[in-house]
Amino acid sequence: MPTQYLFVFAQVHDEFRIPELLSVAELYGFDIKFSEDPKERDTSRPFMILELKSEEHARLLAGRCILIKYVCEFYARGTSYEEMHERNRLRKPQWEKYIADTSFKFMVTAFNHTIPQRRQRDVVEGFAYMDFQGKIDMKNPEITLACFEEYPDRRGTIREKIEGDGEFDEVWFGRLIDVELARPLAKKFDVKKRAYFGNTSMEAEMSLLMANQTLASPGKLVYDPFIGTGSMAYTTAYFGAFVFGSDIDGRQMRGKAKPPGIIRAAAQYGVANRIMDLCTFDVTQNPWRCGELFDAIVTDPPYGVRAGAKRLGRKNQRQPKEGPPPVHVERPDDQQYIPPTKPYELSELARDLILLARYMLKPRGRLVFFLPTVTEEYEEIDVQTMLCEGMEIVANSLQNFGSWGRRLITVRKITTEKYPPPTFDPAHAVTENADVHVPAHKDFREKYFQGFKKNGSIADSSAQEV
Amino acid sequence: MVRLITHNLLACHAKGCTSNNFPLQFQDAAIELRDAEFNADFLRGFLPRIEWTALVGAARQLGDTSLPAEQPEMLDDEFLQKLHHVLLEVHVEEGAMVCPNCKHVYPISNGIPNMLLAEHEIG
Repeated sequence: MPTQYLFVFAQVHDEFRIPELLSVAELYGFDIKFSEDPKERDTSRPFMILELKSEEHARLLAGRCILIKYVCEFYARGTSYEEMHERNRLRKPQWEKYIADTSFKFMVTAFNHTIPQRRQRDVVEGFAYMDFQGKIDMKNPEITLACFEEYPDRRGTIREKIEGDGEFDEVWFGRLIDVELARPLAKKFDVKKRAYFGNTSMEAEMSLLMANQTLASPGKLVYDPFIGTGSMAYTTAYFGAFVFGSDIDGRQMRGKAKPPGIIRAAAQYGVANRIMDLCTFDVTQNPWRCGELFDAIVTDPPYGVRAGAKRLGRKNQRQPKEGPPPVHVERPDDQQYIPPTKPYELSELARDLILLARYMLKPRGRLVFFLPTVTEEYEEIDVQTMLCEGMEIVANSLQNFGSWGRRLITVRKITTEKYPPPTFDPAHAVTENADVHVPAHKDFREKYFQGFKKNGSIADSSAQEV
Repeated sequence: MVRLITHNLLACHAKGCTSNNFPLQFQDAAIELRDAEFNADFLRGFLPRIEWTALVGAARQLGDTSLPAEQPEMLDDEFLQKLHHVLLEVHVEEGAMVCPNCKHVYPISNGIPNMLLAEHEIG
């Protein structure tokens, strides 16, 4: 019979919480039962009760989910201590096995509040009816009983430190199973402490969430076609996968010293030998011999704000001269000749990326990537119309920056059919997809630099005010 | 870097170069051997993607003759160990890969091959 577990989450990246849980459960092959009541699935609260078949599954989730802070076997909850204790008494069959001689301690804590020490003691004494006979051991108890008080968010209000003490929304109680096992990885992968990084490196916590969406594990092969400084390579490799990276700009991957920057940073995390290889090429002119190579593709495509997306070719339609370029300029790195590049418009890039993933992924493989969107203009159809046959959306989580945001899109390949490699030809794609819907992320770069104003005139008038 | 597994997956992609564009030939290859984690499941899963003759040829070009000319049917541990070594532990650090058809030279520097095409080579 499934047991209820109390999960306590970090209150960040709300929209990533459930996709992460589902991905980790899929990776290990078990099911999570969420509450039917949408209020119980509200990710703006730190608490959630999930039903799992075994405690082992709870541990697996805690071992891998970056957003989990605590996992407990759930005993009771209530809007008052009376209510919670009453329910906890009914749960005696679950905890009576600890009564006789199990060493224990209590942990009493609160969210959005600090409970004064004196009352913490009162709270613990309130559990006297459980009549635990084992010795109290504050250092190495066999079990820890955890009591959490949940207060409303009062940020921005001025109050005495303990004002409102006891006026919680709800109190939760259970036996602690694990304390943030995976969460400290965000510190381990801190970009500031990394041997090599760039100005567009992905922050550690997000790189880890992305790695979880790829279902990275030993023996898998993951590809990043815009690897840059390798942020996601380290986290996916840390979870055991081999990572292959390519980038149109080899300088991003290598940095100034030897060995290449990505290898230096990977070595710092002990995963250098899981970086399968790095390769300089434009993904729209790629040398892959065949498809169906990768278990996942994970990438943060450049979208033109800090680093512009580029592909080989010329911006204007000037006919290139026949034959090799006449002058070879010696450069300090190996790139004796730098071919011209042209901008790569975001909605084109996103659509090409999905076509590339359908060709390069094994069946059931996943594509995980960030898509920047304009908050006011975004519609769900923007993401739906990027898709092609054989690919389905698994998750779409927004990281909101106000007027714009970025969505972590997870797509799964649901076909076993073989498809040809994408042509990367904008003209071709338009005819294939006769749908004329223009996604809000089209020309994102231009919209960003116009401050997301609806039209030029508003931008002009605000400029005059300055 | 440039392990033989990577070499086995890359073909010349210059404009119009569509036949006899694989495998690329190593030139002036400087090799390093580095231990990698052995994972039998990964090797078994990847074997169907490998062009066997190309792999054996590349290994021999680099002086490793441990693999048989014909891909064996029995994937015993001894064979997988050899395959593991050839695919994942031999790194070409410097040199180049040359297309057997159009003779395009893809230089390898610090273990990173430069597969960028020049303007006149893109389709």
